[in-house]
Amino acid sequence: MAVVFGFLPVLLFLFYLFLLDSFKLVRPHLLIWCLVYGIFAAGMSYVGNTFIANTAGVRFETLARYVAPLVEEVFKALLIIFLMIRRQIGFMVDAAIYGFAVGTGFALAENTWYYLHLGPDFNVLLAIVRGFGTALMHSGTISIFGIMLIEGVQSGKSFRRSSITGLLVAIILHSLFNHFFLHPMMQTMLIILILPLVFYIVFLKSNKHLQQWLEVGFSNEVDMLRMIRQGQFRNTRAGQYLASLKEYYEPEVLLDIYCFFSLYLELSIKAKRNLMLRENGFPVIPEPDIKDKLKELYQLKKLIGQAGELALLPLVRMRHRDLWELNQLEH
Amino acid sequence: MKTEVSQLNEYLVLNLIGRLDTVQAPALEKKMLEILDQGHDKIILDCKEMDYISSSGLRIFLIAQKRMMGISGTLRICNLQSNIGEVFEISGFSLIFSIYPDLESAIIN
Repeated sequence: MAVVFGFLPVLLFLFYLFLLDSFKLVRPHLLIWCLVYGIFAAGMSYVGNTFIANTAGVRFETLARYVAPLVEEVFKALLIIFLMIRRQIGFMVDAAIYGFAVGTGFALAENTWYYLHLGPDFNVLLAIVRGFGTALMHSGTISIFGIMLIEGVQSGKSFRRSSITGLLVAIILHSLFNHFFLHPMMQTMLIILILPLVFYIVFLKSNKHLQQWLEVGFSNEVDMLRMIRQGQFRNTRAGQYLASLKEYYEPEVLLDIYCFFSLYLELSIKAKRNLMLRENGFPVIPEPDIKDKLKELYQLKKLIGQAGELALLPLVRMRHRDLWELNQLEH
Repeated sequence: MKTEVSQLNEYLVLNLIGRLDTVQAPALEKKMLEILDQGHDKIILDCKEMDYISSSGLRIFLIAQKRMMGISGTLRICNLQSNIGEVFEISGFSLIFSIYPDLESAIIN
């Protein structure tokens, strides 16, 4: 029974979050990697905490309240940061779920350690506190970090600032938990009540953002590409803007800028289409030339250089989410 | 968006009139689900008077298509205006739906 309470709740909650992902943003194999990494992060944190405790002579209370939260949240966060850099995270939903998976792996490793070392002392009460309270705390803090990171980056804040802010919040929450201002059972009850509500609100908001982004982006991009294909692009404001760049760019660079824009529109539309298909349970339409077109797009990006990208800024933002959606086409 | 329902042979024809955007989509979704819940398994969406569709609208079409596939039913789209037809072509959604130039060919085929 203790094993059930100590290990199942956080796994079930992760599965529940995975089911809530209506746009299927989360890829199952990445989710498993996050779980596995969480176990690894727990091991590294144990080594780190032990090292600091032994070399710095830190008391257990100080270790639990201040050092361990810092060490553990940093190790947990590293994979989320890596996934963000590799454009594998696009919205709050996938940030939250991948983060939760890392925390789940971490908590499972921790609880396994407790189970193996305490033996019969790992009783039902302890299992409830560790399984519902600590485990959900570990998963919740890194989820919050992921959410703050993606929202910060997408709203234009620097990656560094967004990660530091998110990490600070995660560390503070973890530290507050470890202070045990409230009785452990009270803390556990609070987490059980608050965390599902937080995730519900996050998922609602994230899905709303996603739908708005799809709605506006899809319509504008289809209109623009239609004008290009009908040869009426120069009559649009975007077309007139590109034509005005003649004064500043060599003809071949301007051509590459135009090709980049047209190809970007085509691929962006297809990426959004695939999201809509996945949301409704349809398989993604296989297009054998997608990888070649992506290669061409990145090649054109190199050719037009930073100056070309700056010129395109009024038309194509190429923010994190725009690059993330192109990344989805490769899978 | 207004909708007009009629029966033609074994097909239920749903005439879509106006814009199908985020504001109008929920009403059409409700209508579509009502029709599907009534057990109709042969539906034609006549889009002669539909002059705009956004991703919200496409989502309704996808929901309907999914339900029809689940009951081995038929969902056909006809009379798409040229600019709307281009939306389907450009986005690749023309590969998902059965699209016909007019109502007659949607019924005969």
